[in-house]
Amino acid sequence: MAATRRLQKELADIRTSGMKSFRDIQVDESNILTWQGLIVPDNPPYNKGAFRIEINFPAEYPFKPPKINFKTKIYHPNIDEKGQVCLPIISAENWKPATKTDQVIQALVALVNDPEPEHPLRADLAEEYLKDRKKFVKNAEEFTKKHSEKRPSD
Amino acid sequence: MSGEEYESDMEYSDDDCCYEDYYNNEEDYDAEQLDPSKTDPEYFVYECLTVEEVERLLNESVEILSNTLQITPSLAKVLLHAHEWAIQDIIFKYRGDSCRLLVLSKIKPPHPPEPAASGHLRYQVCPVYCWAMHFEVQISQGISTGIGCMAQECEVLAPEDFVLTLLSRPSTRDRYQQFAFRDFVKSHPQLRFCPGPNCQVIIRAKEPRAKRAVCSVCRTIFCFRCGTDYHAPTDCATIKKWLTKCADDSETANYISAHTKDCPRCHICIEKNGGCNHMQCYNCKHDFCWMCLGDWKSHGSEYYECSRYKENPNIAHESVHAQAREALKKYLHYYERWENHSKSLKLEEQTLQKIKTRINRKVMNASGTWIDWQYLLDAAALLAKCRYTLQYTYPYAYYMEPGPRKELFEYQQAQLEAEIENLSWKIERAETTDRGDLENQMDIAEKRRTTLLKDFLEV
Repeated sequence: MAATRRLQKELADIRTSGMKSFRDIQVDESNILTWQGLIVPDNPPYNKGAFRIEINFPAEYPFKPPKINFKTKIYHPNIDEKGQVCLPIISAENWKPATKTDQVIQALVALVNDPEPEHPLRADLAEEYLKDRKKFVKNAEEFTKKHSEKRPSD
Repeated sequence: MSGEEYESDMEYSDDDCCYEDYYNNEEDYDAEQLDPSKTDPEYFVYECLTVEEVERLLNESVEILSNTLQITPSLAKVLLHAHEWAIQDIIFKYRGDSCRLLVLSKIKPPHPPEPAASGHLRYQVCPVYCWAMHFEVQISQGISTGIGCMAQECEVLAPEDFVLTLLSRPSTRDRYQQFAFRDFVKSHPQLRFCPGPNCQVIIRAKEPRAKRAVCSVCRTIFCFRCGTDYHAPTDCATIKKWLTKCADDSETANYISAHTKDCPRCHICIEKNGGCNHMQCYNCKHDFCWMCLGDWKSHGSEYYECSRYKENPNIAHESVHAQAREALKKYLHYYERWENHSKSLKLEEQTLQKIKTRINRKVMNASGTWIDWQYLLDAAALLAKCRYTLQYTYPYAYYMEPGPRKELFEYQQAQLEAEIENLSWKIERAETTDRGDLENQMDIAEKRRTTLLKDFLEV
């Protein structure tokens, strides 16, 4: 119950704030615990596309953290093939109930824009990122063109 | 032989007053060992306490601290928990710089926020039911003393009185108090939970040393420092390494080595359940690298140094194989002996049963009284004790560097082994007439054991 009320408020706030990097938020009327939206990164090589994510809030939200999954494939050291992402702010140990979803999304967008190869989910991509940045950027760009969604026009 | 017979004749003459004989032996013992702390390498002072006694003990500390510093008991608990119950140390630091101490102990935030009760940033912002819900979720995850503030950047811990006033359900309050008690005992350097299954006893010793502790209730024998089976003369780290190595064949051990590691700071076992190599210990919150177990802070760009290590074998394959074969041979040598003594210990438990039946039979046949035969049970107990130590000498020897000290160790080990086998042989074939001989053998075996421990037990 507490989850519903807080999520409704958070959703309204995010929608009115007009975040440029997180848009097209879709929430099923019957289930406010699952959100979908488009991550729109600014930095190359990801600025050629947009990436759909799903945020799942537990029934105990905000006392337990939400989970984030990428629905669009992405060539990124911190996001694995299943779409899982390692985001410290929503790990069970670090989670604070006062953390707002827009802070979580901002942390996620920052991670997508600037990969953190020091704690990768995909060690192979992290190594490429550190050793041969040109090759990494080229691969990531091609991958983005092939798999990502279209960026909103405005 | 004639001397021994003479001795056993002497024993016989005392037989009708065997209690006196028993006490005489005790006196002999005392005369030889006036100060056990100097003569007995396994000497260890400890006491077995109940949960209530420990609660009283902890409460005394809480009371002293809260009276001395004029703070609430629940803040005193946070301080004691954060500083391993070192009262004097806390008082000293408090008198020096109380503000710094309170910040370090996560009682006060480092930068004073808007005025709020007990330093909780959000206390006035969030309704009470939010805090209650936060506490319930944390407690359901087994967290008690570690429950933090709900605010994002705030590390302040929720003190006990704050938590308890907001928890309405008695069952949750009980769980909170149980978990907190567990945390307090674990943070107390003088206290250890008895590792026996379902045993409530808590052992207290002044110094956390790797010594033998015996639970007075469930009789579990364990090492006070690491809480595993007692392992003298081997030290805690070595026995852990050895036992992991021995278990290497099993699937579980393979899984453990592939998926779990010990936290480099608090040594709790951590299972890796995600892909990220940046680990944070659930227990002590230490950030470290899964690859090299180094501090995470130093992992700006050095990360790949730790994964590369395995990929650079600089020794030719041929010699690696030869080395591996040699290493395996060495390991098997020690392992077979370790395993063999462990099996012998189990077999000798059966022997004990046989001894008891034999005593019954002998007494029925009027060959000595029941009391006459009791020495045999003492002998069996001593045999088990000696064999146990002998078993644990093998891991010690395995990890020893070759040299004169190892030679001395293995010499003493061989001596001990010989006397133990003698004793075992004599026990299985004992008659009342052999009592002197057997007691002599018991004495020799125990002396060998003590000598070895005196020379090599370093705790």
